[in-house]
Amino acid sequence: MIIVQEADFDSAALLARLRGQVGAEAGAIATFTGYVRDFAPDQATETLFLEHYPGMCERELHEIADTARQRWQLAGTVIAHRVGALPRGAQIVFVAAASAHRGDAFRGCEYMIDALKTRAPFWKRETLSGGRSFWVEQREADHQRTQSWDAGDTPKEPT
Amino acid sequence: MSGATINLLYFARVAELVGARGEAWPLAETVTGAQLLQALQARYPQLEPAARLKLAINQTHAKPSAPIRPGDEVAIFEPVTGG
Repeated sequence: MIIVQEADFDSAALLARLRGQVGAEAGAIATFTGYVRDFAPDQATETLFLEHYPGMCERELHEIADTARQRWQLAGTVIAHRVGALPRGAQIVFVAAASAHRGDAFRGCEYMIDALKTRAPFWKRETLSGGRSFWVEQREADHQRTQSWDAGDTPKEPT
Repeated sequence: MSGATINLLYFARVAELVGARGEAWPLAETVTGAQLLQALQARYPQLEPAARLKLAINQTHAKPSAPIRPGDEVAIFEPVTGG
């Protein structure tokens, strides 16, 4: 299930839909939710604007989910990502991986959010409470984690 | 051939620097991604160094060595920051 939308999402409803899809095949579902946080302890974020490339975005997310499903034998997946202007504390992204066992569910879920951060065409623009506004830069650690996954490893770089 | 173009799309900071969301770019023959970025930088010096920018050709991530042909949709952007 791939969802890209401006509206907020109900993670409990997404989880219920996934459970409905996978039934008793999956003994484990791991989920990740990302929220708009302050840019830094002393620099409160007021708004995070998410721009995306419609079409390519959905294609990349489908490919990321397909890769995760094959690599960890997942019974089902969800990736939901919001776009547009998001206030401080709002939900940005929801990822879920369903599997027979927890190890595959955890790793599949972690892979999907890591891959999304370096491959899915989204861009964040921060506006701080003081009015300063800027495009966020990709973190080197995220890039390295994707390289580790691509090399067949489980990444050890800090998130 | 005067009518041959590619459909260029600009995202995020690149769109701000260029001052447009995209444009039809004349392209008579195949070039590499790196050559296109060089040509863009010549037209829009504010993109310098353009070699740091990423490309997608027909909605797929592409390396700087990838060929771009007339009729392609080519997106230019900085490294992505979703999630």
